[in-house]
Amino acid sequence: MMHDIIDSFDRRKRFYINLLLILIFLWSLTAINWNEDLVHPGGGVMIIQILKSILQPNLSFEIIQIALESTWITVVYAVAGMTLAILYGSIAGVLASGILTNNRILKKVSVGIFRGILSFTRAIHELVWAWLFVASFGLSPYAAIFALAIPYGGILGRILADALNDVPKQPIQALKLAGASNWKCLFYGYLPFVWNHMLSYTLYRFECAIRSSTIMSFVGLGGLGYQIQLSLADLKFDEVWTFLFFLILLVVIVDLWSGLLRNSNNSKFSAHALLRYFSIDRLSIYIFTLLVCTSWYYVIFVQQASLLKLFSSENAQYALKFFTGLLGLNEVQPAFLNFDYWKTAIGLTWETLLMSVMAIGIATIVTLLTVIPAARNFANGTLTASSSFWQWLSFGIIRIAYIFSRAVPELIWAMLIVFLLQPGLLPGALALALHNFGILGKLCAEVIEEMDHKPVRNLSTAGANKAQMLLYGVLPMVMPKFLSYIFYRWEVIMRTTIVVGFIGAGGLGQEFKLSMSFFHYSEITLLLFCYLILVFIADFFSEWFRKAAK
Amino acid sequence: MTTSNKLEVKNLSKNFERKISLSSLSFIIKQGEKIAIIGPSGAGKTTLFNLFTGSLPFEEGSVDIDGHPLEYWKRKKQLANKIGVIRQQFDLVDSLPVIHNVLAGRLKDWGFFKSVWSLIYPQEKQIAFNALKRVGIEDKIFARTSTLSGGEQQRVALARLLVQKPEIILADEPVSSLDPARSEDILTMLTKLADEENQTLITTLHSVEFAKKYFTRIIALKNGKLFFDLPAEKVTTEELTNLYRLKELSP
Repeated sequence: MMHDIIDSFDRRKRFYINLLLILIFLWSLTAINWNEDLVHPGGGVMIIQILKSILQPNLSFEIIQIALESTWITVVYAVAGMTLAILYGSIAGVLASGILTNNRILKKVSVGIFRGILSFTRAIHELVWAWLFVASFGLSPYAAIFALAIPYGGILGRILADALNDVPKQPIQALKLAGASNWKCLFYGYLPFVWNHMLSYTLYRFECAIRSSTIMSFVGLGGLGYQIQLSLADLKFDEVWTFLFFLILLVVIVDLWSGLLRNSNNSKFSAHALLRYFSIDRLSIYIFTLLVCTSWYYVIFVQQASLLKLFSSENAQYALKFFTGLLGLNEVQPAFLNFDYWKTAIGLTWETLLMSVMAIGIATIVTLLTVIPAARNFANGTLTASSSFWQWLSFGIIRIAYIFSRAVPELIWAMLIVFLLQPGLLPGALALALHNFGILGKLCAEVIEEMDHKPVRNLSTAGANKAQMLLYGVLPMVMPKFLSYIFYRWEVIMRTTIVVGFIGAGGLGQEFKLSMSFFHYSEITLLLFCYLILVFIADFFSEWFRKAAK
Repeated sequence: MTTSNKLEVKNLSKNFERKISLSSLSFIIKQGEKIAIIGPSGAGKTTLFNLFTGSLPFEEGSVDIDGHPLEYWKRKKQLANKIGVIRQQFDLVDSLPVIHNVLAGRLKDWGFFKSVWSLIYPQEKQIAFNALKRVGIEDKIFARTSTLSGGEQQRVALARLLVQKPEIILADEPVSSLDPARSEDILTMLTKLADEENQTLITTLHSVEFAKKYFTRIIALKNGKLFFDLPAEKVTTEELTNLYRLKELSP
């Protein structure tokens, strides 16, 4: 027949790409020294103890009270951070889309500058921002709030800019012909188009903000994470579970809320005018406004955090010292001019990269193994025309595992894992994988739920059995979307590797923590530089692979 | 077993939530017949096909193939050898290359490992190639299905049927999304292939003209009931007008 080599490569392109990805993952595993030294002596006993106490969380009045209080603080920081993030994101996002000006040069400048700012602010993980803020102005709720607002605003702004650029051109042109200015076009043309999408995305980021706010405690700012850390240090696992259950509950509530919102936006026909008045959209906005007001009230009046105090002369001194430290002005040879330290930093960068590949690889494997029974249309039989009690049971179990996995932040997974494993790349990768498998699983299960059933049904009438229907129907149809989600999570994991490094998972994060503790600020500059390079490389490759896989 | 009665439908009824969809249908179809089922939208044509493939259960009546009920063939895992389906939306897996969509007709005889391996290294390539050659698109064998035109995709679906080799072909509006020239092309091919393999062909159609031109017998359904069942040449204009009339004028 008619195949030359190029043709044969071209039609197997996706196969080769997949093979390459699998090989990269397997090779990343070789970075670990697989022997019994990986596990703590007695680590197994500890893990059993931790798992046993899952069934007996501490529900004493005292602990519940602490849990409620710290849940509230977690929510307050998340809400306050989100308010600022929305402000920053909407302003920078509109400017980064370049829709406010007709002047070509001005547009290019505005888009270039603001896209740059947005990508820089979102490249650095919120916990790193928090640490930088604490180091420069000391412990204050504002450190947590700003640390959340900056990267979250960066992400919201980027998504808003992309959404604005994707708005169809004709309706905007029509508005312009009707005499609307750029500003009027923004409010009457662009914003109505992107509103629903942005609302549901913002709610999703709010869910993430709650998790992030939880781990702010790691740099000494209160909240649920702080309590979890304290109880872990005292080995009071029953209390740890109580706090974790509160966190999970919180995440589930926000998740349900955003699910309701999505559904109400999808259904075009609202039943009754009165019902529409109290629609979930409106209600959501009321609730969010109420939350914003109470949160800021709490920060300003109850915690008495004064923004002005941040700018005291004492803080100015600290900040000055920190920034001159970062620039290495008071050192003879700052770390970023030291050849040996460069070598160390590059070695650590490499390790961090390996850790991220391992993490996404493990998360992907577990997701692929579980995702099909986790899809609702598989459980109820619409996909393969057969349903059973066992399908429903496995659906329930896997979905609960997903919720559990993604509700607990990476950092807390890492804190638990280091009880079992010696510090190193493996616990870091496992913690990242544990958190991401729940997210990846949920995203991928939704892909299966939304796919077109007919081709799969047709395979069944052609005599395919269940496994063959999955192989020839479901997998080829969902794989491109799965891959793009996998890469998207890999980008996120790359940003987060530094965070699990803080608790001894190796890589750049661990060194970052050490340098912070020894006040070696010029090292921090170099480490942050390497970290940013990694994040940008991850963004670039994921974009490239997504295109290649199409 | 009576060899001549390929498909026997007796008093077949199907209701959807109190609404009658098919009521008490009966007809016999013989081996090698070419039948067009016509009727206005909502007459129950698609429902009838879904009952034949076993994807919908029915309350009353029976559907026998070669003298045995559907359930019997289903249990023996022989249904795919008896009945094959081709639909208006083609229902192919877009993201797979053409060859795998064609070879899907072999899945009924393949084990799990052969199915997996074939995705990496296509098995029984010659069968797929021959089938595609018969429908005239053998050069597209390794193309991605989503890059094909509507007419080409319908040919891929036909090639799959050739590979599957069912004794009865159910074609559900096979040409409704194609233009007239391509429709004729596909119908010619479909009837020709069915003749060559001595298969029984049952097609639902919107176009009466096509039904008369390509098929030997026409079964008309209206409101879930049998309206007429006649040899194609005996169908009169008057009956067709009655079939498609919207509502009776007198109450």
